[in-house]
Amino acid sequence: MMSILEAQHDLPAFRQAIRNWLAEIVPPDWKARMVRASNEEYIAFQRWWMAERSKVGLAIPHWPKEYGGAGLSQRHLVAIADEMARADAPQNRLFTISLIHMPGTLLPHGTEAQKRRYLAGVAKGEVWCQGFSEPNSGSDLASLRTRAVRDGDHYVVNGQKIWSSNSMYADHCLLLTRTDPNAQKHRGITYFIMDMRSPGVEVRPIRQANGRAEFGELFLTDVRIPAENMIGAENNGWRVAQATLASERGVISFEGGERQRYEIEAFYRKSLETGAAWLRDAQLHRDFISFLAEMQAARRLLRRVLEESQTQGASASVLPSIVKLSSTVLRQRICSFMVRIAGVDGQVFALLAEGPFGSPMFDFLSAFSGTIAGGTNEIQRNIVAERGLGMPRI
Amino acid sequence: MVTSVMDRANMLDQATLDALRESVAGVLAEQCGSTELHAFIDGKNGLDKGLWRQAGSLGWLGLGIPEQFGGLGMGAQGLAILHGELGRQCAPGPYIATLSAAQAIVETGGDAICQAWLPLLASGEASAAVPATLDAGSLTRSGAGVSGNVRCLGAADAAFLLAPTADDWVIVDLANAEKTVAPMWDRTRNVVDVRLKDAAPLGILPDAAATRAALTRAMCLAIAADSAGGARSITERTIAYMKTREQFGQPIAGFQALKHRAADLATKLAVADEMVGHAVQRMATDEPDADLWASLAKSEVTEASVFIATDCVQLHGGVGFTWDFDPHVFLKRARLNEVLVMANTALRDQAAAALAAITMSGRSALELE
Repeated sequence: MMSILEAQHDLPAFRQAIRNWLAEIVPPDWKARMVRASNEEYIAFQRWWMAERSKVGLAIPHWPKEYGGAGLSQRHLVAIADEMARADAPQNRLFTISLIHMPGTLLPHGTEAQKRRYLAGVAKGEVWCQGFSEPNSGSDLASLRTRAVRDGDHYVVNGQKIWSSNSMYADHCLLLTRTDPNAQKHRGITYFIMDMRSPGVEVRPIRQANGRAEFGELFLTDVRIPAENMIGAENNGWRVAQATLASERGVISFEGGERQRYEIEAFYRKSLETGAAWLRDAQLHRDFISFLAEMQAARRLLRRVLEESQTQGASASVLPSIVKLSSTVLRQRICSFMVRIAGVDGQVFALLAEGPFGSPMFDFLSAFSGTIAGGTNEIQRNIVAERGLGMPRI
Repeated sequence: MVTSVMDRANMLDQATLDALRESVAGVLAEQCGSTELHAFIDGKNGLDKGLWRQAGSLGWLGLGIPEQFGGLGMGAQGLAILHGELGRQCAPGPYIATLSAAQAIVETGGDAICQAWLPLLASGEASAAVPATLDAGSLTRSGAGVSGNVRCLGAADAAFLLAPTADDWVIVDLANAEKTVAPMWDRTRNVVDVRLKDAAPLGILPDAAATRAALTRAMCLAIAADSAGGARSITERTIAYMKTREQFGQPIAGFQALKHRAADLATKLAVADEMVGHAVQRMATDEPDADLWASLAKSEVTEASVFIATDCVQLHGGVGFTWDFDPHVFLKRARLNEVLVMANTALRDQAAAALAAITMSGRSALELE
């Protein structure tokens, strides 16, 4: 198959090329297969999907050309995300950190050697994870205590990390450590790239309330990291970490919003076609249509975040926090509605399901990842109030 | 750069809209500040009349009226900005009734009626009244005349009423009609009870369904924009107050419990603005789902604004319960907005029916651009 990128200068043709490729490549039964898949099968499927995207140039299209990407504009990324959502194509969750956070950190702060070495690995399927949170450093991330002590041309790391998505399968880790325990807490942090195969790295999966185990806990015992793996300067890791966190704002959330749109539309169409009982309840119908109004507002807001992310001064904006607050709570309320109308059937244990909102309890429980991960909604409220509304910090 | 939600060939450019907003906001901030507004509420000035004259001379009243009838032809986009800014200052006057009646006439009045009335409305020479709720009864015909009682939204001296009969909509002269002005909790707008007896219509709009739909859409957008503007304004005023009010030795704005409430209000405001924006976009490009989104904007945003204004009273503490502070003025305006046109439950029922019809026809009501 030819690279879809060849059509990039004509946006409608580019979209059509993606649409054609998706129609050809996405297995119609992929969801059904994933419902029954073991962890190993899921990971193999994710790697297959990455490889297929890579073949047509859609693995890292958003990266600069000099590092193997296509340097595509945001309009193109939006088109890709929209077509993926429309086709209900698989998401590449295994590679989220690899595709978004790692380049978002290395491009502004990495050395040329680091960029050359690590960016190239992602299109080949290297998996990255993030070692930020610790058992005692969640919302108060800057209080982290994992120690890194210089020893010749290495640092020796001891500590514990948690909530590290897909760390069980990762090749590399974006790691925050404390190098100066006597400095003010934001000033003694250093950022490293850690090879997950280093001796002393142990990963234990964390079983989640929704039945899955996507996160790992990292136990680090005398792990030796070469000094050349430091990103930015020693004790300047907090500033580098802001780039990692900021990279989350954007196309991923946009794609999530678009996927929800198609899912809810498919759900509604199916309800009409099957004469679902909830449609006969006027109040449920009103609740549902209110969700649609909020969903349209959320989709417009996600577009605004994308537009804004291309402008100067975007890092000072609290709009991403406002959007996170509104869209994650809306997701939770929509899923809650789905649980309620599913009755006892909806309480029968099931993980992924084929149909739209086919396993509403799974979706409802999974929605907490939106309200808790990436800075809890309570932290977002602080950000909105303090940075956005100018309310004093005390 | 992604395609902006506003970036459409048949929509006005952002610079034009920003300039409009700035100029309307500037005039209202100068003339309709808190002091003037409270004096008006207490019957100590004629703020409503002064603003109306100025609105006429500045072209605000013709924003949605095509240029050939003396307006500026800025459609739903211009109207949403004007109503949003009027809401921000709780500006008194019959704007929602008059400008919405004008839209219904533009869309379904026919040339003669447009020629006769739109220039008068655009200049501010005449104001209009409309039924406060559109699902109430209709006027009855007796020969050439119409009779009945209508509870109207509009000024006591409105020139005419646009109201339905069983078969069509009529324009009725109000100069000699029997009128009772109801005392309202919201003193920034009037509800007038009109009793008509064999009144001769000045004009007839024959397509009842189309006129009803046009008026509903226009009122819904106007009310939603007014509510969103009002909610934003009272939130800003409340947060400013919280930064100055000290208890326990510090500004109350520093307490986390209150910060989180304020952040939630800011989030609701962002959502409300987008709901208005979405309705505007669907109306400006004349999409088949425009009615649906206008109805939902009204029902969602008016409820959000009641929630927000209620919380703003509470966040003020004791002074929030006084006549002299602003929150109650906004809360009362929000409460009237909430019940205009028709109950929000009924609007959602209509929207749900429209959604089902669009979906069953194989189309989507969820397009954004």
